Amino acid sequence: MKSRSTAPIRVGVLFSETGVTSVIERSERQGTLLAVQEINEAGGINGRELQLISYDPQSRPALYASQAKHLLLEDRVQVILGCYMSSTRKAVMPVVERWNGLLLYPTLYEGFEYSRNVIYTGAAPNQNSVQLAEFMMREFGSRVFMVGSDYIYPYESNRIMSDLIVERGGEKVAEVYLPLDASWESYVTVAKKIQATNPDFIFSTVVGYGTSLLHRAYAQVKLDPAKMPIASLTTCEAEVRQMGADIAEGHITSAPYFQSVDTETNRRCVAQFKNRFGADEVTNMCWEAAYFQTHLLADAMRRVDTDNIVDLLRVLPGSEFSGPQGKVRIDEHNHHTYLRPRIGRVNGQGQFDILQEAERWVRPDPYLVSHSLQDWSTRAQIHAR
Amino acid sequence: MRKSEGTPRLLRELRSLRVLVFHPDDQDGQELLGQLQRIGCRVKAFWPPLDKLPDETDLVIFAMRPEVLSMDLPWLRRDGSPPVIPVVNYENPVIVEAVLQLNAYGVIASPVKSFGLLTSIVVSVNQAEKARAQEKYIARLEQRLAGLRKINKAKAILMSTRGLSEDDAYKVIRDQAMSKRVTAEEIADAVINANDILGFDLKS
Repeated sequence: MKSRSTAPIRVGVLFSETGVTSVIERSERQGTLLAVQEINEAGGINGRELQLISYDPQSRPALYASQAKHLLLEDRVQVILGCYMSSTRKAVMPVVERWNGLLLYPTLYEGFEYSRNVIYTGAAPNQNSVQLAEFMMREFGSRVFMVGSDYIYPYESNRIMSDLIVERGGEKVAEVYLPLDASWESYVTVAKKIQATNPDFIFSTVVGYGTSLLHRAYAQVKLDPAKMPIASLTTCEAEVRQMGADIAEGHITSAPYFQSVDTETNRRCVAQFKNRFGADEVTNMCWEAAYFQTHLLADAMRRVDTDNIVDLLRVLPGSEFSGPQGKVRIDEHNHHTYLRPRIGRVNGQGQFDILQEAERWVRPDPYLVSHSLQDWSTRAQIHAR
Repeated sequence: MRKSEGTPRLLRELRSLRVLVFHPDDQDGQELLGQLQRIGCRVKAFWPPLDKLPDETDLVIFAMRPEVLSMDLPWLRRDGSPPVIPVVNYENPVIVEAVLQLNAYGVIASPVKSFGLLTSIVVSVNQAEKARAQEKYIARLEQRLAGLRKINKAKAILMSTRGLSEDDAYKVIRDQAMSKRVTAEEIADAVINANDILGFDLKS
């Protein structure tokens, strides 16, 4: 038997600590750190410590690309955990493909991607958009006002939402895009337009700091979340804490995980998380994906006893883990993750009351063009409120 | 760019697209098949290529290997054949010329990557549909042009044999066509035939 190395295994981390999406990416980083702490306390990778090398790409795609290259070529890592916005993932993808690294991406996105060198652990549209459209149209009506940040994820998400709504005879009242760094005044203008057009609900694909501006502007023009809520795929506990529960209350999000998910694993993870990062810190869907993907990676590394990506890619697809949301599984064919869709509504404590959840996990289908409300086979159950 | 309302039909119908893959069962072939299955197309794969295409084929993806150059594949370039996307791993003039003969609207470069395949498929099928529609349109135009030529000839016959003005000659043809419920072109045919047989006598 050859002598076993005891040197640490190093993994790269690219989550922005500054810039427009730093709040949520900081949370993804914390989920990663918690998992690494647990992994090392349990003996690391067969006795080898898991070490993280982190940089701050400042929410800028070009920095993600150059830092990813640095991680692979200078720091000699095989695996990178990171990215939030699609533009940043698209910047890292050619780098990991060219130098044969592996990116684990813990963020929901708009689908239509597969790379041998990427594992996607956030929701695909068939795991959050379809459920949200179905819920909102059933509970509130089918006249929707769409507002989003000006980049690819909102365009594609709105395309899917438009198709779903038109299919059901609904109506798109407006479709508005704002720059990622749009001003407070432009959000007030949007809120006034919402007021004037009086839709049944608002579908927001605004990400980053703009999320709290949108909610604040909505509150300022005195719209009522009980009658005309903002529905989102991205607004989570981190943004709610940033804007304050008072202005977030009553709005609705579709995600596979909320801090309030009632599983034993989640209760334990949240307790450990607060213990390490502070009692007033919150978890969220991206935190959770960052957390469980790190465990999936560590499990795979233990099984093949290396961080070599050729070996890792033999075992990672198809592997399962009992995460805070329940059991998850990486699909062998498309590298996305089986997740359990849920719909939550923000309560007065800044947490989400879970209004419905799928009976079981939903297979990811990132190349699904035409989503259909009718044949959603995993129709969710409504919980007693 | 103009944003269209709703998702284009071709994209919506990707999951019913029947794709025939003529490619060896190697790394490229597997990458192709894997991505086509992720996209959700209905896929069949063969190597070497078949002489006859299955009836239900919307698109052929074809490995442009040197050994296929000498093959006689009668379905290639036949009218109504489905569009072909070649997979190329050589870029020398012999292969490029062969690619030109396929009348392809796009190529897939080897080593095959999952990224780009969806766009290639949609562009090729779209261009092929457009080309087919254009061919139909051109055929219709040619037919109309031939018809016009006949009508002009019939008008000339009527003008010289009956001393009619051009407008009146046309009116005769049109009225006949309307009362007999046939096309003006058919009346023109009859006039020309009658003239051929009877010379200038059209009274009977």
